[in-house]
Amino acid sequence: MIWLTWRQFRAQAVAAVVILAAATAYFVATGLGMHHSYATDLASCTAQNDCDTLLSQLRYKYDAMFNLAELLVVAAPALIGIFWGAPLIGRELETGTHQVAWNQSVTRTRWLAIKLAGVGLASMATAGVLSYLLTWWAGPLDQIDGSRFAAMTFSTRDIVPLAYAAFAFALGTIAGLLLRRTIPAMAVTLAVFIGIQVLVPTMIRPNLLPSTTVTYTLDESSLSQANGIFGQGGSSGDFYMSGLGVSQGAWVLSSTPVENSSDQPIPLNAIQSCLPAIGPNGKGGRGGTDFAQVGSCLAHDNLHESVTYQPSSHYWPIQWFESGLFLVLTALLSGACFWWIRRRQN
Amino acid sequence: MSAILHAQALGKRYGRRQALAECTLEIPPGHVVGLVGPNGAGKTTLLKIACGMLAPTSGRIEVLGEQPAADPTQLARIGYVAQDTPTYPNLSVADHLKLGAKLNPRWDAELAQARIEQLELDPKQKAGKLSGGQRAQLALTVAVAKRPELLILDEPVASLDPLARRSFLRHLMESVAENGTSVILSSHLVSDLERVCDYLVVLVSSRLQLAGETDDLLAQHYRIVCTRRKESDLPSDLEVIWAEHTDRQSTFVVRGDAEPPTGDWVADHLELEDLVLTYMERAADSGRRAKTLKTEDAR
Repeated sequence: MIWLTWRQFRAQAVAAVVILAAATAYFVATGLGMHHSYATDLASCTAQNDCDTLLSQLRYKYDAMFNLAELLVVAAPALIGIFWGAPLIGRELETGTHQVAWNQSVTRTRWLAIKLAGVGLASMATAGVLSYLLTWWAGPLDQIDGSRFAAMTFSTRDIVPLAYAAFAFALGTIAGLLLRRTIPAMAVTLAVFIGIQVLVPTMIRPNLLPSTTVTYTLDESSLSQANGIFGQGGSSGDFYMSGLGVSQGAWVLSSTPVENSSDQPIPLNAIQSCLPAIGPNGKGGRGGTDFAQVGSCLAHDNLHESVTYQPSSHYWPIQWFESGLFLVLTALLSGACFWWIRRRQN
Repeated sequence: MSAILHAQALGKRYGRRQALAECTLEIPPGHVVGLVGPNGAGKTTLLKIACGMLAPTSGRIEVLGEQPAADPTQLARIGYVAQDTPTYPNLSVADHLKLGAKLNPRWDAELAQARIEQLELDPKQKAGKLSGGQRAQLALTVAVAKRPELLILDEPVASLDPLARRSFLRHLMESVAENGTSVILSSHLVSDLERVCDYLVVLVSSRLQLAGETDDLLAQHYRIVCTRRKESDLPSDLEVIWAEHTDRQSTFVVRGDAEPPTGDWVADHLELEDLVLTYMERAADSGRRAKTLKTEDAR
């Protein structure tokens, strides 16, 4: 049975190895140079005590490559689901060859178990190699970006891509099993996988661990860390300050508008007198605005703002939880495959 | 030795459609069984249940004394070639033999090799590039080299031209004779089965119509041609299977354990094909009558 699984999977395996080899060569060739310039840039800018400009230039230089590499790792699980999962059983049912396989002296439970385990492990290994390569390659760029929680960053680093690949593979397999046609199964796999990949970062991931909510009184010390004012609806609308008190690398999930002592949002023009450097459109930025000074001006107004975030220390726990979640889904889908194949029989 | 197939009130329902109903059947060992019936009669359903591809929705079935596809041992005892003789299109002929060798404990590599040579199949050829007849032969080779006690073949010759049909059946009979394998093969054409089967099962509109050894069936059935009369005027120990009347003449097909007594009629044996067609017509007729009655009831 292992031989048959390998024989049927051989062409796809060769394709995967070729792609992985090309990706490795590409990552290593460009990565070594990038790691080297990051180290030299960092050394020189730390000496001059101004790293922003130099590192931004480095980050910008690799931006296109960075996006392309992330796209590759994002796409890999979907491609695995489509090209390895959907045909695994779907094509057998479509061409009737399951009737050959199921009438050799091997139970169909064993047949399914070996196919699922063999190709499933290959899926995870493929995603694992790609994820490892990207995590290593993009290390300096992630340092410059400072946040590992950005949706594309989180989903393409460390261990979650392995779990996505396992899940996408199981999803493709069961789609093929239920639809009994390869092409529709591929389409359904892609649609469902994209849906889940949109749903999870927006709805599930923020809630995998309890988030922290901190309320800041707007004064000199809290605003000294602010980096912007964002208004909603012009000068008479709500606004909030970004960057309050949250340590670097944290994932800010939401922040309330700035409110007065009776918890009512106040309009931007109410604090106009304290914002000398900012134009009437309410947009603010780092350049030219001394937020500490704004803070001391606002201190006696008794204003506050709440920020909800996941601290950077939650990065690995969330990676593990999310991987676990996808592996549980994988196990459920695989179990459903076994149940279906034993109960429904053809 | 246990019966090839023992079914007790076996039934299979797909949603609202009854594909097989109330099938009770016991086929003694050592036969080449022909399963005949029009398209959609339930032949494929019965064979799929027998090899464990399908689970029945009612009744019980034992094949060679065991539940179908219960475990690897039972799987090894039965060879099955599905309708349209599926093979893996991307695997070569040699790959198919290797597949058989890897997946079957009793695999007979010499037999498989000899058959492939005899058939002049190129081992390196992909199965997807074979002709229909060659594919059927390859599928049969894999099933036969497994050395099963029972071979189940679902319409194996349906898509073959007359020459390939004859050669396929000849090869089948050779390997059956060599190994003493029991066989069940289905067809909607009696002529395919006539030469090879010594046991006949007739299935029409999901119900069993007739089962028995071919010779017995032929010996028990007569066609009686006589002047026009009612069925009740015939000797009472004759079961009337079919009656047809013209203005002056009546034709009956009857079944009886002994030869019908001489009378004012001509009694003759039937050809196997006529016999089967009679049962098929009868079943189709009673189906039509039942429908008419239902419509009348509804009024």
